[in-house]
Amino acid sequence: MTDQPAVNVRGASMVFNAGTPGQVDALSEVDVIVDPGEFVSLIGPSGCGKSTLLRLIANLIEPTSGSVEVNGKSAKQACADQDYGMAFQQSGLFDWRSVAKNIELPLELKGWDKAKRAARSQEMLDLVKLSDRGAHMPWQLSGGQQQRIAIARALASHPPLLLMDEPFGALDEMTREHMQAELLQICEVTNTTVVFVTHSIPEAVYLSDRVVVMSAGPGRITDVIDVGLGKNRDEGTRENDSFYKKITEVREALRGAELGDGARGIEDR
Amino acid sequence: MVTRRARSAVRRSVLFVVALGLVAVCWELYKAVGPDAGGDIFGWRLIPKTNDRVMPHTWEMVAEMTRPAIGQGDQQVWLVLLGYSWYTFQMSVAGLVVGTAIGVLLAVLMARFRIVERGLLPYVVLSQTIPLIALAPQVTAIRGSLDWPQWTSAVALAAFLSFFPITVSTLRGLQAAPAASLELMASYAAGWWTTLRKLRFPTAIPYMVPGLKLAATAAVIGVIVTEITLGGLRGVGYATIDYSQKVTSQPASVYAAVFAAAALGLVMFAMIVGCETYVMRNRPQEERG
Repeated sequence: MTDQPAVNVRGASMVFNAGTPGQVDALSEVDVIVDPGEFVSLIGPSGCGKSTLLRLIANLIEPTSGSVEVNGKSAKQACADQDYGMAFQQSGLFDWRSVAKNIELPLELKGWDKAKRAARSQEMLDLVKLSDRGAHMPWQLSGGQQQRIAIARALASHPPLLLMDEPFGALDEMTREHMQAELLQICEVTNTTVVFVTHSIPEAVYLSDRVVVMSAGPGRITDVIDVGLGKNRDEGTRENDSFYKKITEVREALRGAELGDGARGIEDR
Repeated sequence: MVTRRARSAVRRSVLFVVALGLVAVCWELYKAVGPDAGGDIFGWRLIPKTNDRVMPHTWEMVAEMTRPAIGQGDQQVWLVLLGYSWYTFQMSVAGLVVGTAIGVLLAVLMARFRIVERGLLPYVVLSQTIPLIALAPQVTAIRGSLDWPQWTSAVALAAFLSFFPITVSTLRGLQAAPAASLELMASYAAGWWTTLRKLRFPTAIPYMVPGLKLAATAAVIGVIVTEITLGGLRGVGYATIDYSQKVTSQPASVYAAVFAAAALGLVMFAMIVGCETYVMRNRPQEERG
């Protein structure tokens, strides 16, 4: 079990509207292996298929060809077994449920009893440092707080893998940096593997063990960069020389892949 | 927030009374200056008569409420109307409940199976173009053959009128769940029914409220029209017909019956608003009506 890769994507292609004039080659022959405990970011311009790749891993769509395995099982089985949690750019909290009840949603679907659910949601609230907000309604929280609840919900049922699609994309810069630091802490405490889609280079470098650089038309992987900043990252890391070097390396990888117009939609901040 | 809502509620009820007063003033004003026997404009009879039979004084209409009702011993008109209203109210509520059940069921079926939506929706729309009066005798014939009590005809027609806005608004609501939320449920490997229960239905509720408001008043109309068409049912609809035949002796009583019908519609409407306030109490402000 332990030497199984957390995610194993082999030769995955995804074609939308095949055979029509609107045919889109969203992904072409993509291979990715993510080891347990690793933090991997997918970065690239709009249309490079990074979200498509994440949705393949989540079994929200099925590949046209190739295979996707999660924890050594088919993506479908991993979905049925709830081997992963997901967080999106929109927190997607349900307006009609209290914060605690939102966190409990996946547990409810798994059939946990009420007392166990309540205990777990309080644990998760403590983990994301919103211990006293359980009885609030989601719309009473700030954007950053809502996103923290979404992460708490994604991790509530102890999934070994967390899939995130630009979860901090809608937050302001200060909140964003703060959330990044917290996410690293949470992943360390819970020993979670993360696949993280982003279009921010510093965000990818700060968070990741490896950055997967993708490019569009057709969507493919053009480079994989080992970040090697170590496990203990803090605010000081952001001012490190090696941090800037890695940012430059990722940026050049993105430019090199696209030669000019490809770097659209990439933020340098 | 509560005080702001309370204040706006008070303001609305004050405006309601003021508007009613203005209508009464206009009525009396015309009655005072208009010609008793009506009048012609370019040879057409366009000016209504202002005599007490056609246009009784507004205070006559109010006073009528406390007079003894014709043919009811010494019972006062308002008490008789209250009894009639209660009778109509019960059938309206029953019709609304049946209509809501059918409406929601149809909406769920249409949301579940696209083919049902495509096949059924045109007929649902078409059903509302049938005049209720044309339908009433048929419904009665079927009811008679089933040997059900007479009031079930009124319930059936009230349900027939009220299911439509509910089907349309619920269907719209069931289809309103955001893509990200649907993906979230899919990532939990949740089936269609689970997704309906946990996501689609709660999302649909704010969409259903306006439909329910329309349905509530439609149900009253359905019952009243049935009473007028079929006879034998002693509700507000019967009262309007019965009183209009006594217009010579008690001209204001017709209006008393109309007021009862209007009040009944308001009560039904208020019931839905009450439910709405309760169900939506935890929703964000912008979702509340």
